[in-house]
Amino acid sequence: MKDLKLRLGQSQGVLLAILVFVLMFTLYIANHPAGLTVPVATTAANKAVLLALVAMAQTLPVLTGGLDLSVGMIFIMTNCVASSLVSGDPWQVAVGIVIVLLTGALAGFVNGAIVVYGRLQPIITTLATGAVYYGIALLLRPVPGGEVDEDLADIMTYTVFEVVPTSLVLLLAVVVIIWLPFRNSVIGRGCYAVGSAEGAAYMSGVSIDRSKLAAYTLSGLLAGVAGLMLTFITFSGEASAPIGGTYTLNSIAAVVIGGTSLYGGTGGAIGSIFGAFILRTIDDLLFVFDLPPLWQPLFQGVVLLVAVSLGAARVFRIRNRLELFK
Amino acid sequence: MVTKAMLGAGLAALLVAGAASSSFAAGPEVVSGPGHNPSCFAPFNADTKHFKFEAKEPPYRIALANGFVGNTWRIQMIKSLKAYAEQPDVKPLIKELKIVSTGTDVAAQIAAVDNFINSGYDAILTIAVNPTAFAPVIRRANRAGVVLVPFDNVLDSDKIIQVNEDQSEIGRINARWLLKHLGTSGKVLEVRGLPGNSVDRDRHLGFRELMEAGGNSFEIVEVVGNWDDGTAQKVTADAIAVHGKFDAIFVQGGSTGVVRAMMDAKHPFVPISGEAENGFRKLCAKHADEGLLCSSAGQSPGLVAIAAKTALTALQGKVLPQYVSVPIPLVEHPDFKANVNYFPDLTDNFFTPNEFPPCNVNIPATEIMAKTEADQ
Repeated sequence: MKDLKLRLGQSQGVLLAILVFVLMFTLYIANHPAGLTVPVATTAANKAVLLALVAMAQTLPVLTGGLDLSVGMIFIMTNCVASSLVSGDPWQVAVGIVIVLLTGALAGFVNGAIVVYGRLQPIITTLATGAVYYGIALLLRPVPGGEVDEDLADIMTYTVFEVVPTSLVLLLAVVVIIWLPFRNSVIGRGCYAVGSAEGAAYMSGVSIDRSKLAAYTLSGLLAGVAGLMLTFITFSGEASAPIGGTYTLNSIAAVVIGGTSLYGGTGGAIGSIFGAFILRTIDDLLFVFDLPPLWQPLFQGVVLLVAVSLGAARVFRIRNRLELFK
Repeated sequence: MVTKAMLGAGLAALLVAGAASSSFAAGPEVVSGPGHNPSCFAPFNADTKHFKFEAKEPPYRIALANGFVGNTWRIQMIKSLKAYAEQPDVKPLIKELKIVSTGTDVAAQIAAVDNFINSGYDAILTIAVNPTAFAPVIRRANRAGVVLVPFDNVLDSDKIIQVNEDQSEIGRINARWLLKHLGTSGKVLEVRGLPGNSVDRDRHLGFRELMEAGGNSFEIVEVVGNWDDGTAQKVTADAIAVHGKFDAIFVQGGSTGVVRAMMDAKHPFVPISGEAENGFRKLCAKHADEGLLCSSAGQSPGLVAIAAKTALTALQGKVLPQYVSVPIPLVEHPDFKANVNYFPDLTDNFFTPNEFPPCNVNIPATEIMAKTEADQ
């Protein structure tokens, strides 16, 4: 009983995010002219999963107490790589996908290596490497274009058995195959420990370097999965700095809404997924409620602020002011 | 196909599910031209295909999936569409007009178009943020029998109807005006647009095509003005400082700034061909007697009205070219008339051309300014 209570307490942020998402999505569907049909769900799922993957990628560095400003650019870079390689014979497609994911992982590893061995601040490191990755994307795709295996892209952006959007299945697979095992591994728990109290983690024999390296590398890999998904959605690649920037900032917002502390140590990728879903549903609400175009950014901003504030609700329940400082 | 399923064990099952839903796209019937009202819906060239959509009963539900919003051109475009939809001959055809702006995120714009398709809209107008990313949406629109009409920034596709002005022709029009006043030689300033953009490239090439034709010997000085008044003004001032006097000027955009630079430098007024900003036309009208002989042609936000008219015509089952080349709204000296094709009381940033006589489309400035930029 005490165990259950503890677990519920720990996942408060996630539960709140899920609740908010369910409420907002219900509001959206209730006002949608077509209602909850499979195509409507698929459209919503495709763009939500895209941001959810980038938000998961952001979660890992944040858990270790860092911040990754390059996730959006890795996302763009892998999109450009995928638009060049994921086409042709089936084996070429398969090799292409592997190279795309490795590119993402390598970019993440470089971030991690600079943070760990260069002892630089993550925010500055990834600001710089993000510019580098964008530069590589621009070299690969000076103008928008490229191609991707259309059969595979169709499969990934449509539905499984005409019911479940394939992109949701992909997201579930990423959670089950990558996130959950990582979270329960020694290295994964090390990430939480490092983010919680680096000194204490060090004294307890946690391998800090290895945990951070793993967090950044995995972050790059997840951004690579997102880049692949963007290629499937657009059938092409584009080195677009505005898109990279938008996804980076939205991923941070998604992480916060999902209940992960920017100070590190608490939260998780599941919360970030729902944080991303909430952000996307805010956009969708603009579709069903007819707001003037010039009011839309204001509306988005206000809703975002409210959503982020929910994460700070815990301060209402503290008994001792000192708890604020932890 | 079989080997493709070997990609991964899980993918095999997905392929079966996906193959059923991703089957062939229906889309419009390809027919032979000429199309309906060819003086308005002019085919881009002799090779342009013609489309015929299945006729539907009016009134229709029309949507605009805009990307970026926040510059004057886009805001005037949105207002123009709403003003056009209110006109007496158009209003009965439209049951609902919905406008959504999604910003620069290509996935969000694709989702917006998908949302309109899912919601059963009859036609969707769009200015795509990326010319290559819409292939999957085009297939979904065609399969659902939705008329998707990209305009302004058109897509790399011949499977849907697109609407734009012929940018090379704008360049040629500009060149013809200067040639008319210069003869075969002289020193010309060319103020170009945003580097790397296809519109800049096409206007430049169209201009050069005529200027550098046999028998001509022009000295052309090229500067980059980014289609922006401030930038164009600065680079023109620099060019005048370095080169002294020009016999004529061609500017792609930011024309008001170019004329201001000329006046500031006490450069004598010379023939100029430029865009269609209200400020430019105001100055042209005022200083025509002193030698500022202008030709003004441009990419009008009113293009949206032609895109809407195209969509409405297609929905009625009429034959249309796949690529509609919209007549270029052109006014040349001495045809500048206050409150007809320029507006002394409106801002310099207002884009003047909003009438397309061959299409019987005319959206008076007063109607545009009366609309808010709000959604319906």
